Amino acid sequence: MLEVSKLRRDFGGLTAVHDLTFKVEAGEIVGLIGPNGAGKTTTFSMLAGFIPPTSGDIVFQGKSILGLKPHQVCKLGVTRTFQIVQPFPDMTILENVMVGAYARYTGTVDARRKALEVLERVNLAHKANTLGKNLNLLELKRLEIGKALATEPSLLLLDEVAAGLKDAEVDNILVLVRQLNKEGITFLIVEHLMKVIMNLSHRVIVLDFGQMIAQGTPDEITKDPAVLEAYLGKEA
Amino acid sequence: MKPLLKNSSILLAVILLVALTLPLYAGEYYIHIGVMVLFYAYMAVAWNILGGYAGQHSLGHSLFMGIGAYTSTYLFSVMGITPWLGMWVGGALAGVMGLFVGYLCFRYGLKGPYFALVTIALAEAAVYIATNAEGIGGAQGLSVAWTGNAPEMMQFNGKGGYYYVILVMTVAAIVLSTWIIRRRFGYQLLAVRENEDAAEALGVDTLRVKVQASIISAMLTALGGTFFAQYFTYINPRNVFGEGPSIQILLFAIIGGLGTVWGPVVGALVLVPVAELSRGWLGGSFSGAHILLYGTVMVLVMLFMPNGIVGLYEKIRQRIQNRNEKSEVA
Amino acid sequence: MVFSPELLLQALITGVLLGGIFALISVGLSLIWGVMRIVNFAHGEFLMIAMYIAYYLVVKGGWDPYLTILITAPALFLIGILIFQTTIRPILKDPSMNQIMLTVGLSLIMQNLALVFFKADVLTANTTYTRLNFMLGPVVVRGSQLIAFAGSALTAFLLYWFLQKTETGRAIRAASLNRDAATLVGINVRNTYLLAFGIGSASLGVAASLMIPFYYTSPTVGLFFGLIAYVVVVLGGLGSFPGALVAGLIIGLTESVGASLLPGSLARVLTFGIFIVVLLFKPQGIFGGKQK
Repeated sequence: MLEVSKLRRDFGGLTAVHDLTFKVEAGEIVGLIGPNGAGKTTTFSMLAGFIPPTSGDIVFQGKSILGLKPHQVCKLGVTRTFQIVQPFPDMTILENVMVGAYARYTGTVDARRKALEVLERVNLAHKANTLGKNLNLLELKRLEIGKALATEPSLLLLDEVAAGLKDAEVDNILVLVRQLNKEGITFLIVEHLMKVIMNLSHRVIVLDFGQMIAQGTPDEITKDPAVLEAYLGKEA
Repeated sequence: MKPLLKNSSILLAVILLVALTLPLYAGEYYIHIGVMVLFYAYMAVAWNILGGYAGQHSLGHSLFMGIGAYTSTYLFSVMGITPWLGMWVGGALAGVMGLFVGYLCFRYGLKGPYFALVTIALAEAAVYIATNAEGIGGAQGLSVAWTGNAPEMMQFNGKGGYYYVILVMTVAAIVLSTWIIRRRFGYQLLAVRENEDAAEALGVDTLRVKVQASIISAMLTALGGTFFAQYFTYINPRNVFGEGPSIQILLFAIIGGLGTVWGPVVGALVLVPVAELSRGWLGGSFSGAHILLYGTVMVLVMLFMPNGIVGLYEKIRQRIQNRNEKSEVA
Repeated sequence: MVFSPELLLQALITGVLLGGIFALISVGLSLIWGVMRIVNFAHGEFLMIAMYIAYYLVVKGGWDPYLTILITAPALFLIGILIFQTTIRPILKDPSMNQIMLTVGLSLIMQNLALVFFKADVLTANTTYTRLNFMLGPVVVRGSQLIAFAGSALTAFLLYWFLQKTETGRAIRAASLNRDAATLVGINVRNTYLLAFGIGSASLGVAASLMIPFYYTSPTVGLFFGLIAYVVVVLGGLGSFPGALVAGLIIGLTESVGASLLPGSLARVLTFGIFIVVLLFKPQGIFGGKQK
């Protein structure tokens, strides 16, 4: 579904992402992990069209999406969420999600129906008329997923969607993602919480200094010496 | 929720009735105040589409007002073309200008104070261009020739005729503005204002909707410019392209409540009569009185109720609603 | 208009002298804008008030124009901090639009108060310096403008030295770079802002006194100089002093050379044209400066 080849991004003299090549198959949940500054969020931003790669290619469903703007990438079926939640603060939750739904539905009636459907899915239906600025963190994280979901993505890029949540809340998110995956949405997730990655991912890609140092099932990854080195080595 | 809605539609009907019948019983002076209220409400509604909905605050909207005023007045005075037609020519020209300004600014990612500064600079440049263009009257400006009571030329004996013209324009602008905000385009504009990156990620072509808002806002503002010229029968570079009109265009939207349908109207309704009356009372001895009032209100609003009158009303309403909900639970 | 080398030379000299004043008016704005990230849309009106103070001291009080600096600079400092404390400090963290609207509101108040107190008349102070002109080859140099240029350069240099070399100056610069970090190292950011706003306003007091021998005063004089200050600050790069000096000269030359080459007041269109182009294509200004 998604083929990333030799993706590279330089910031000044620094290389944030270095010749990254990987694939995501339809129906998968792929975890992207790595220490701080490994280039995960930069990779996400490039995939979603927010920053142009210095070189390399991104192919989605057989077509290169290089050079497309974020809204065009979204229309093709790739939607991202943000690590730092980005609600529309002075719009209601329903309106927040409707903005996403409008990516697929031009009519307001349809967009509202879609948004209400999504709100049920992310357990925010009871908050439909609350303003974005009046939500707590868990609700904001749910809203972040809800907005993205309303665009009916085939590939959803989740950026640290569990960060800052309590254990029970994290479990909520896990259940939701697994369900959505069963319904056919492919996921690429960046996450710091190992619990999330290990529980959800079919496959994990490990980045360090912008390069892929390992990939495999969660089990394989935890035994990979290169990964242990990257995560533990520096402190040892 | 229901009774509130009912109340507000009754209120709306009453206001509309009063507005429709005002010239039947009010004297010329009060009709003039009515015209001013409607004119500034109209302009604020027009500005609000770009400034309030899309959150792109133009401080140089007089550029569009001037284009409208000069185009129709030139066509009328020099070529005898009726302003009813000329206003659309002006509107079209302003629309092209709105496209140009919007695309140029938004393509290069100008935001906040930087966008405001470019719009001021463009309007100021227009002042100096018009001042030096002798073909359109130079610094002297243009007068609208009086052809007698000629509704087909947008000229009337007495103020009543002008009143109904601007009433229709204002109602139409409110309807358009309401229609916009209830559909996809409106939602996308609000999303852009609230968080541009998030909007873009959700499939909103942010550049496109901002430019569209700029075009619509510019066109509406230009139509208002034509009305201004017809009503006051005289325009010059400063009084249509200058900083004064630019600020008066946005003032009432800010004070009434930015980004809401009714904010601009409420702002004009509350403030213009006070300003006009004070101008009448204080007369020539205190010529800047109304602007002084505007400035003071603007500062106070920013300090104490940055969401304007409508914002304050919403806040109070929500608080009452919350209290009711709580007492129901208890 | 007939073109002659003398005319051009005259325009160049006038432009440079004018540019010095433009630069001085702009460094205050640059300081406030750069430190607080607030565009003060009432900047020109502060200058206008200072010019009225200087005018009345000279015309009614018989003061030497340059001695009025002793009053205008402290007065503007006080007015600056007073306005900052009452209106600007409460909205420092508000959206930029609210800040713009508030300062626009301030400018309306100041302009129209001036209209009430001083009427709309255009006032010119005829001082001994006003006629202090001399020939430099084929061109006339106006003594008052030359003094203003020198005074501006000196004031700008003193400000620059203050910001670079003194403890307080360093604190102001630190607060402008990173508010939170500055707080962490024990800088009282609130006082720093207050001081920066006061100094930025006081520099306009100096500018007003320097200008009064050769420039008129009116309630709307701030409009033009305010705009010029935004142009110069953007062109020179936000927060950059050397940038403001060079940009001041560029705009001074544009205005005067433009005026000698273009008919009427079209030179002003050129100034705004430069402004728009810079804002669009190089908003960080010709001197780099800080990111917007």
